[in-house]
Amino acid sequence: MRVIQNLKAIPKVQKFRYGMILLASMSLLGPLAFLPQLVGSDDLCGQLCMRRFYLYFPGMTWGDFFVHVNAAAIGVMAFALILITTLFFGRIWCGYLCPVGGLAELSSRMLNDRWKIEFRSLPQVQIRYGYFGFYLIAMPALGISACSLCNFITIPRLIEAMSGEYRGMVYLVSSVGLVNLALLLLLGVFASKGRAYCQFLCPIGAADSIVNRIGARLPFAHRIRVAKERCTGCNICARDCMCGAIKMVDKIAVVDQMSCMSCHECVDVCDWNALAWTAPPKHKHNSPKRIKKNTEIFPLPDWQAIHITPVKEDVAAGRALPQISGVSIFNSMIFLTVISVIIVGSFL
Amino acid sequence: MLRSFLLLCLVLLNYSVEAGPRYSDPDGCLSCHVYEGLSFIDEEGVLRSATIDAGHYASSLHGSVPCKDCHREVVDYPHKVENTEVDCSASCHVEEPSEGVKYSHDVIHEEMEKSVHGDGWYKGLTGGNRLEELEEEQDPSCRRCHSNTAYIAEAQLEKFKDAFDHAETECGNCHQGKAWMGQFGGHILRRFVGRRWNNIENNQLCIQCHGDVEAMREVEQEDVKTFKKHPPSERFVQSSESYTKTLHGRLIDANSEFGATCIDCHAPDGWKHEIRAYTDEKSASHPDNLSESCGQSNCHAYSKKPGNEGFTMTDMHSLSLLGLNSFEQPLTDANLWQSNWFRSMWPLMAVGIVFIVGSLVWWIFYRTDKKILAILGGSRFERVMIGRKPKKARVKPTARKPSAEKKVAPTPVVDAVAPKAINKEDLELEKASVEKKIEPASTVESTKVNKEASETEAEKTLKKPDEPEA
Repeated sequence: MRVIQNLKAIPKVQKFRYGMILLASMSLLGPLAFLPQLVGSDDLCGQLCMRRFYLYFPGMTWGDFFVHVNAAAIGVMAFALILITTLFFGRIWCGYLCPVGGLAELSSRMLNDRWKIEFRSLPQVQIRYGYFGFYLIAMPALGISACSLCNFITIPRLIEAMSGEYRGMVYLVSSVGLVNLALLLLLGVFASKGRAYCQFLCPIGAADSIVNRIGARLPFAHRIRVAKERCTGCNICARDCMCGAIKMVDKIAVVDQMSCMSCHECVDVCDWNALAWTAPPKHKHNSPKRIKKNTEIFPLPDWQAIHITPVKEDVAAGRALPQISGVSIFNSMIFLTVISVIIVGSFL
Repeated sequence: MLRSFLLLCLVLLNYSVEAGPRYSDPDGCLSCHVYEGLSFIDEEGVLRSATIDAGHYASSLHGSVPCKDCHREVVDYPHKVENTEVDCSASCHVEEPSEGVKYSHDVIHEEMEKSVHGDGWYKGLTGGNRLEELEEEQDPSCRRCHSNTAYIAEAQLEKFKDAFDHAETECGNCHQGKAWMGQFGGHILRRFVGRRWNNIENNQLCIQCHGDVEAMREVEQEDVKTFKKHPPSERFVQSSESYTKTLHGRLIDANSEFGATCIDCHAPDGWKHEIRAYTDEKSASHPDNLSESCGQSNCHAYSKKPGNEGFTMTDMHSLSLLGLNSFEQPLTDANLWQSNWFRSMWPLMAVGIVFIVGSLVWWIFYRTDKKILAILGGSRFERVMIGRKPKKARVKPTARKPSAEKKVAPTPVVDAVAPKAINKEDLELEKASVEKKIEPASTVESTKVNKEASETEAEKTLKKPDEPEA
């Protein structure tokens, strides 16, 4: 049985992670949903909404903001909790608990890779924060409901529909529901590793990854770190990374802390122990270097969370600098005009 | 002896409390009207009683007011029936002590006249406002909404009593004088205590009439500019149905204090009588005034600030909401087949067939292939994230590989080393080094720096012949 073999081949930590996602989705979604029901709600909206209270409405005062915070009090607390854990341990919520991204990921992993669309190579940080800014400011100003592209409503409703509740069915049949379902399929189930929605559109993820990046340099912060001298450039981690956070730079794996979810898969997969989920080392960079019989020994790895690629004098080496092509200028001009027309039009 | 004296005292005291009407009757109206059976037949042939129960009247709110204060046209005896009508909009018996202005319902009268309900029977406000109200008329009279209910709701009574106990000290500090407290204390305190209705009852008042779809179809609407009558729009007829589907209506159904009632949007200011058509520019629900009306509450306070005009675009009485009738009801078969869900099944089915057939084809022809790439963007991923060169560039060196080895062959040193490295790892290293050949020199250098420790001598010797080429 290949299925069982495949299941057995899953690394131990990943089995734990999948289990956690299933547990979280059972307690947060669907017919059970006993955590939301504790506060008298059967989905992740209303009081539990973590995605709406920070929207900026032009001319909003602090009073308005606190009204929003009051309306979604429990969601705000959960959001704060997520950010605090992220500061210390990396994006545990996103990788290990989030039922919305997690279910999409699990269903995507059940599908053969050849059917999937590869989103991981797109410039995700730029897209994510571009959309995040649009979501925060332009969408409320234009009067577009922030709930229109929300996976936190689609997945609970989908589960409701599957468990026979008609409200879920009615939502999925509506035009907003159909668009969301298509998004879920495109950016979730049929995306390679199933985390494209988290990479590009999720506002919680966007706020969370900022904290992840800020905390990366702190001495107590656990992050996925690379020991550069151990990396052999085999690129298995980069292929397996579900968020596309690992990129091979000069044939060495580099973790983008703006995207990393600390899901631990790269650590399990690396045969050379070049990746680990740790706090930064106590010793200084390259300090315990010993010289024994004219041989330099590095007894302790230098765990780095942030890798800054040095800017080289490439012209001297004959390497062409990345050039601005005509196509990219054309694309960006179209994009900027569309956005500015929308924004200016909303004020007129 | 003492005991019987005390009993007598009690009886006398008791008698003195109950004795006689509290207020005198300066106009002498009660001398006739107190008799039972005093009645007359009005124009419509209805027998109407003219008896006034002196006790009831005295204990009513207006008990201290002489009859002629309101029935002003009654000057002689016997008086005509027509003269008994009371016009409360003129001016009233109560004088506001601090301003000295006589209270009047004229403000409400004017407001009502401007509103869409302005054609109703409210002229003269009371008096003739009893039997003349016709059920068939589309415009409501005062009594339709202001029915004779308890002045203070039972639930509020305790709260009112508590507030009333403190009124002497808290209000009386500034508003001195018994007249003011006696006449206005109760009126104003009741407003402090809160509305008589909760939001559900407040809406029920409007829905009583507007919820009746069949009756609403017969209403004639008046154009704001041309004053022409025209049959009602479907949006108007279904307005109460569509409202209950919005968040506003559902919040009120759930007994939440956050929902917006009909009045909250349609007559947010003043005495709540000025309900106008949304096409009227002075209406609170006119698109130009919406940002102001929505912004009155705490929920949408930012909607009146510039740049938020988009907020008011949502149609609160959209007919599309009516389709959402059945939150609880099962979807019937007819509904399902007409729904977007089933329409979207056709393209989904086509995609599904491609999916299934494709899976079979792939499984038959490519199952031995170990490398599986994504259907879209796979090669871009290889190029950007893994750093592999595009396919075209990658194929050439492998094709050239034997010739390159042949060129190398005459040099004895390399020839001697290369054939010995037959085990797998070395072969891979060799491959890698050949791939590096087409890379620009700088990357080769940088990898060299990074991997100096791991590179074997054999590799270095292999690389030597490449350098002059680059």
